[in-house]
Amino acid sequence: MIQSSTSKSSNRTGLLNNDASRAVILQAVVLLLALFGLWFLFANASENLNRLGMTFGFDFLQVTAGFNISWSLIPYDPSMSYWRVFFVGIVNTLVLSFCVIVVGTIIGTVVGILRLSDNPLVSQLARWYVEIVRNVPLLIQIIFWFTVVFSTLPAPRQSYHLGEWLFLNNRGLYVTTLQSAVSWGWVLLLVAALIIALYGLFRWSKSYYTLSGSRSTGFYIGLLFWALFACWALWFLVNAMTLSVPSLQGFNFSGGAFLPASFGAAFVAMTVYRSAAIAETVRAGMQSIDRGQHEAAFTIGFSRVQSLRLILIPQAIRAIIPPMTNSWLTSVKDSSLAVAIGFPELVSVFMQTSMNQTGRAIEIIFMVMGFYIFISLLISYLLNKYNDSVQYKVR
Amino acid sequence: MDDLNVKNQSAVKQFVPTPPRPPRKTERGFLGTIRHRCFNSVGNGLLTLCVATVLFYLVKHVLDWAVFNAVFSADNRRQCMDVSPEGACWAGVISWFNGLIYGRFPLEEQWRVNVGVLLGLVWLLPLISKRLPLRNFILLSWIGLYPFVGAYLFLGGRFGAELGLIHGAMASLALAFLGILYANWVLSALGKKGLNELFVPLLSRFVQRRLQLLSLVAVWLLVALVMVFGLSQMSLTPVPIDRWGGLFLTFIIAGFAITMAIPIGVVLALGRRSKLPVIHWLSMAVIELVRSVPLITVLFMAVTLLPIFLPADMEFNKLTQVLVAVCLFAGAYMAENIRGGLQAIPKGQYEAAATLGLGYLHTMVLVILPQALRMMIPNIMTSFISLLKDTTLVSIIGLFDIMLMARNIANDKDWVGMHTEPLVMISVLFFVLCYGMSQYSLNLEKRLKVDR
Repeated sequence: MIQSSTSKSSNRTGLLNNDASRAVILQAVVLLLALFGLWFLFANASENLNRLGMTFGFDFLQVTAGFNISWSLIPYDPSMSYWRVFFVGIVNTLVLSFCVIVVGTIIGTVVGILRLSDNPLVSQLARWYVEIVRNVPLLIQIIFWFTVVFSTLPAPRQSYHLGEWLFLNNRGLYVTTLQSAVSWGWVLLLVAALIIALYGLFRWSKSYYTLSGSRSTGFYIGLLFWALFACWALWFLVNAMTLSVPSLQGFNFSGGAFLPASFGAAFVAMTVYRSAAIAETVRAGMQSIDRGQHEAAFTIGFSRVQSLRLILIPQAIRAIIPPMTNSWLTSVKDSSLAVAIGFPELVSVFMQTSMNQTGRAIEIIFMVMGFYIFISLLISYLLNKYNDSVQYKVR
Repeated sequence: MDDLNVKNQSAVKQFVPTPPRPPRKTERGFLGTIRHRCFNSVGNGLLTLCVATVLFYLVKHVLDWAVFNAVFSADNRRQCMDVSPEGACWAGVISWFNGLIYGRFPLEEQWRVNVGVLLGLVWLLPLISKRLPLRNFILLSWIGLYPFVGAYLFLGGRFGAELGLIHGAMASLALAFLGILYANWVLSALGKKGLNELFVPLLSRFVQRRLQLLSLVAVWLLVALVMVFGLSQMSLTPVPIDRWGGLFLTFIIAGFAITMAIPIGVVLALGRRSKLPVIHWLSMAVIELVRSVPLITVLFMAVTLLPIFLPADMEFNKLTQVLVAVCLFAGAYMAENIRGGLQAIPKGQYEAAATLGLGYLHTMVLVILPQALRMMIPNIMTSFISLLKDTTLVSIIGLFDIMLMARNIANDKDWVGMHTEPLVMISVLFFVLCYGMSQYSLNLEKRLKVDR
């Protein structure tokens, strides 16, 4: 106490010469400015809203939307409310970005590894793929795929087709789907239970194996029971399923599932774009491993696959996870660009159509931004957790 | 004992290692490399052949379309189709080329855009030289003064009418500054005294200190006065902002955002690193909120919410709204780059600055920030590149940047439905710009490493 009071320049006079009081004054000024700014904005907003005869509130969400949405994964029709529109937008956004993240990560990882190939032809091809893709704006690529590739596909009657299962035309892609007599939730539960049971069985057997050096008979009995149960489940599922085949009736297809051309264009463009970014991340991660690790793995007689799986990838993961997280977050945000080709994602159905119809700019913008902020925080929280678990444990 | 033995033996017989034999002929040279790296195993050989075949057909296809079967002069799309239905129709892009670059800027006024852009480049030219003094000062003067000249040339108008008095005065000051800068440069190259010496004998009667500086200011004001007179004599045809477009508008938005991003980013990053809780939390909130939403929502916000949240009598054009949004967005991203740089500065630097008795401001401006910014050059350049690419988003809210101009060609009655060629053309343009920037940044990085 005494020390700190002497070391602080308490003998200096004047409020502005004292560190502590200066901190307080500075913060007070900044806080007042911020509060004044907020007050200024809100005062103006309420005055402007009054002048225009508008009110602030979320009651408009209950109102019937009355417009159609070209494609949605969850059931929607124009008699539903703006709440439903909001959720349709969210689900479409999430579906698009999820597909992009999964496929983009796979392609990106492959390209990133090809980029490190000894074969100059292969590595240069991968390099120029990355350079070209990432130096052209995503919006141009999305519009390119939409107007140049997907819109010039043949009309429904002349669709490209794969047997009678799959039709591709300028409206989009029609695919054969399975229809289940029981609800999909139960089917998923059944499959999940089977997988978990098998995983548990192997895990238990492995711990037994490491302790005793041999497989227990319990493992084989368990495996038999599992196989019997799996056969029964398969039989049950096959009986419960029917195929829904798309067929041309009049001017349009009926049956099956439909993915609009705008989805295809946005998906392909975003996947290609994302894969280039991920390829660079993967390459940087692989190159961050010391060369000695390659050599050590080679020396103890590991094959290339073994050394990748057991030595190199586990170490590269540490350098890859943080930028990869960023990349995934960016693809969720980038999905908003699909608005340019009319794919009904959140910005398109809610920030454009709904805002034009209701005029509730403030509420709608805060809802949309709130959604994106929520997603960002969620993804970065989950991946930070995972990141913590793969980092080196140091004292 | 061992030592003794070794000595004895070496005295008797020297071990001379055989020099390594050169690699076999088949392993040397270009062909050797190919054999060694492309065909060292059956699998790799097959892979090489497959890739080469795919590459060959890809390149052939692209070249056929873009060069060999392409049509370079035609009056409309139908003629292109008649000549060569398989190839690209560059005639449309060529006839729209002016629009792609200048937007809807009036044809006879386009020299102003060229002059304005050239002026900005000439101003920055001294930065290329490594030895010239006051380089940072020139950069700062560019940020502070050039926008006034640029805006005057691009907007036009008459002094005192469309061109406001303050704006006009600043533009004159800017022109005078540039003139003196180059005049002094030329004079010093010729071995003569600079303009700043002009008033020294006159001023020395009244003041003793800071003669050089005062003299320079006097020359500056005098030249600026002449410029004001010049500006008031001539008038440029006013060009409304909504006629700006094309690559020109893209550059304006990107350039403005890039120059504003650094100061905004520095302030936000320092705020985030501050020990004062209020400042820390406020900066963090701004950075995180802006960074977690897509740019397009920030643009929508600026366009729809700015008129609601600001006084009713304030009027904005769309470009101003967009600039506000893009600057905020770029600043938040830049703040994270700069924070990375600040975190990488060793603690010793802060302590050394404190030992010298430097306060917060001096520590940051003289010691920490120069190092942090230099360390982060690759990241900052990456941010600039993505900013340049992101400017295409303003086309979604209806600004006629190069992207929207390119899409508009398909609505022209002569070139109805021509999507591919304009898109390919601006893709190539963006590729050249962005790839050039990234190569430059690599180059810069290497150069700065050598310097250290």
